[in-house]
Amino acid sequence: MTEATTFKAESPAREAWRMFRRNIPAVAGVIMLTAIILATLWGTFFYEGNPFEIVWAPHEPPGATPEFPLGTDYLGRDIFAGLIAGGGPTLAVGAAAAAITMVIGVSLGALAGFYGGWVDNLLMRITEFFQVLPTLLFAMVLVTLFSPTLFTIAMAIGVVSWPQTARLTRAEVMKIKELEYVTAARAIGAKNRRIIWTVILPNAAPPLIVSATLTIGVAILFEAGLSFLGLGDPNTMSWGLMIGSNRAYILDAWWPVTFPGLAIFLTVFSVSLIGDGLNDAFNPKLRER
Amino acid sequence: MTTLLDVRDLTVQFALPRQGFFGPRPVLEAVRQVSFSLEQGRALGIVGESGSGKTTTAMATIRLVEAAGGKVMFQGEDLLQLDDEAMRKRRRDVQLIFQDPYSSLNPRARVADIVREPMDLMEIGTPDERRARVTELFRLVGLRPDQLNLFPHQFSGGQRQRISIARALTTNPKLLVCDEPVSALDVAIQAQILNLLARLKAELGLSYLFISHDLGVVRHVCDDVAVMYLGKIVEMAPRDALFDAPQHPYTQALLSAAPSLARRKSRGYVRPVKISGDPPSPINPPKGCAFADRCPKAQEVCRKVQPQLEPMGPSRVACHFPG
Amino acid sequence: MSALLQIEELRVTFNTRHGPVTALDSVSLSVNAGETLGVVGESGCGKSITALSVMGLIPSPPGKIAGGAIRLAGEDLTQASEARMRALRGAEMAMIFQEPMTSLNPVFTVGDQIAEAIMLHQKVSADQAFRDAVALLDRVGIPSPDRRARDYPHQLSGGMRQRVMIAMAVSCRPRVLIADEPTTALDVTVQAQIFDLLNEIQRDFGAAIILITHDMGAISEMADRVAVMYAGRVIEQGRADDVLDLPQHPYTRGLISCIPALGKGEDSLREIPGVVPPLHMLGAGCAFAERCAHRAPRCDSEKPQLQAHGHHPVACHAVAEGRI
Repeated sequence: MTEATTFKAESPAREAWRMFRRNIPAVAGVIMLTAIILATLWGTFFYEGNPFEIVWAPHEPPGATPEFPLGTDYLGRDIFAGLIAGGGPTLAVGAAAAAITMVIGVSLGALAGFYGGWVDNLLMRITEFFQVLPTLLFAMVLVTLFSPTLFTIAMAIGVVSWPQTARLTRAEVMKIKELEYVTAARAIGAKNRRIIWTVILPNAAPPLIVSATLTIGVAILFEAGLSFLGLGDPNTMSWGLMIGSNRAYILDAWWPVTFPGLAIFLTVFSVSLIGDGLNDAFNPKLRER
Repeated sequence: MTTLLDVRDLTVQFALPRQGFFGPRPVLEAVRQVSFSLEQGRALGIVGESGSGKTTTAMATIRLVEAAGGKVMFQGEDLLQLDDEAMRKRRRDVQLIFQDPYSSLNPRARVADIVREPMDLMEIGTPDERRARVTELFRLVGLRPDQLNLFPHQFSGGQRQRISIARALTTNPKLLVCDEPVSALDVAIQAQILNLLARLKAELGLSYLFISHDLGVVRHVCDDVAVMYLGKIVEMAPRDALFDAPQHPYTQALLSAAPSLARRKSRGYVRPVKISGDPPSPINPPKGCAFADRCPKAQEVCRKVQPQLEPMGPSRVACHFPG
Repeated sequence: MSALLQIEELRVTFNTRHGPVTALDSVSLSVNAGETLGVVGESGCGKSITALSVMGLIPSPPGKIAGGAIRLAGEDLTQASEARMRALRGAEMAMIFQEPMTSLNPVFTVGDQIAEAIMLHQKVSADQAFRDAVALLDRVGIPSPDRRARDYPHQLSGGMRQRVMIAMAVSCRPRVLIADEPTTALDVTVQAQIFDLLNEIQRDFGAAIILITHDMGAISEMADRVAVMYAGRVIEQGRADDVLDLPQHPYTRGLISCIPALGKGEDSLREIPGVVPPLHMLGAGCAFAERCAHRAPRCDSEKPQLQAHGHHPVACHAVAEGRI
């Protein structure tokens, strides 16, 4: 009984982190996302300029005037200012939508998976109902019904994207509840709520964390899509709004839509890299490599 | 000696998927009117092959599987009649050790927390007393206190089984259900755990309901043995009577099938009792004796009339032609 | 005369995250036609790696045969090409695995799978192969074989699936049959049937059988000779009667005395303390020293070699020095 002495007390989370660190694309994703978040934080809290203000002639190409390195849009607004100031709302909508998705999806999925029977039947039929709705159309209806603010947009995205998370959670919970350590928890007198929260969900966490990460990326794209269709919040600068308002002039000037497009691409790309990295890090089959 | 546990006519049914949309739901009877009793400080072994209902019997006894009928009198109180909250409180007296030491411990909890959790749930003692108790239990089962903060995956199978035993002992239970506690372990480790269980039984006066497919293991740990086949007990006897003079043809077949050092290829042994085939399906159990199809002694009556457990010397046997 | 299958000083290494480890260290075994060699040991002792090496199925990378030879009727399999190994596998040597459900393809009937195995190595028509498959199913004791041949694996019980595996393994009358824990997943009455079947098949076909098991009882009932493995080395081997009745190595003695016997129930089982050391932590000395009651300074510094002592070879300093 000596072999355990050579181990440090490494928790599963720490072990996952050790695996994650070895994944170069994932670490690159973290660096990229950190840079984007720092820039948007700076833009939100310290940047003094107003991205809605008309500061120069319209459609000034990038590099032509040193003051406006990325040029101006069709109204003569600074694109750099838009990127910096619009990042915060964009990321906030993505994160909030992902959070709403997770809260609804995980709760309903966990209840359905744990209790089974008619609870499962009822919740899964509701889930299927939401799943067969055309998501973009449904989100558009929601945003139009309630005025388009950042909050309602995040809500709309969350409401249309939770079914997948619910199905994933349900499948994980159904798998884990059959394991003996769950029976062990019942045998020592744990109540259902405690079993769900402290035993099953922590063990179901890895795929859910991965899915939450990827949902952030999807939500950012969703917000851009809504803005592109003119359903964004017109009073808050966001990358999607920049693309949406400039899309009519895309043949006259490529830069007003390209730069926010690039920003969205880089953000979603780095989030996906992180999501894939987490997926690998939590996968015990890759551990021994 | 006082009777700790008295199980009467325990029956467990599982509903199967409907056949067709409006069809009836067929029922599988996994445990059929099983009765046994267990005295304080003794160990009852339940032996059988997969599908015999031995694990389901034990799980239904401590209400981790729902029983369809019968009585489970534990210290004079019917566990099946308790409401959920009363049963939850009663669990401190009936604990459980699992077969698979790899899936029975929550991989995301530190082992000290795993062992302490029953006390948290039952609100036993102060936090300091609970910590002291965990350390004491670690010593009792042969683990070192410096291993308290490790995670389950950092232990070997045998050590995990010790942790599982420590968790089961936390609340000072009277009855310990052991579900194949050593069948996932290597033989050398198996002996360590069996000796530990024997020592704990003697030192703490525990009673065991011991489920196993391994007759050698049961002989080592148990005072009495019940043999199950297709959801029913076919023979129940004190240990020595069962091993020295098995009465039921199935018990005899089990004993002659178990690999043993006493039988040598070099000496050209021939198995004394040979049986063929597999157990019948529990979905449509035969009308008569469930073993009749594989039994070398089967007669017409065996296929028609179900034999009941009848006393025979120190044993009780359910067979038309015992001996 | 040399044996049908002869493993000489086989050395297999694996690359792990702890660096390269030696999974098999100078393992020498042999088995003759019509004979059963039992290989016994705890999980991780290298008994399954030995079987996979013979079949040429070591996952590579990370595994590698780093030295030694495996001779089947004189031909060194470690030097054989992959094409040659494919021709030998199934025809000259076959393997039965522990879990018959995962070794059978769930989407084909068992008859088709056996017929497929036959057609891989013999030039026969599909109809003939299927008829042979039915005959084989009958031979391994499956009732109404012509109907069962059209069943899918999930429609059969565990014991019947293992019979199908055996039928498939012997379909080309291999000269060497390797059974890796063939009954671990089965019930004891079914296990007895499978053992009896393997013995019958050996009598009929004269195959050499290598039985890999952790169960000394199975060794006793099945094996003519036995090799005991520990941490990648053979530590004792000989005729089954000699090893079982007069075990010399402290580990073998421990393994035999820690089995809860059916016969007499003693109060306390002899136990071997501790656990098998992980392969990457093996030192210069005897791998068993840590758990051994006869440990001496020499045991920690020098690996004991397998050498004849009394009835049969054993690798132990204490035995060689006459301390036990």
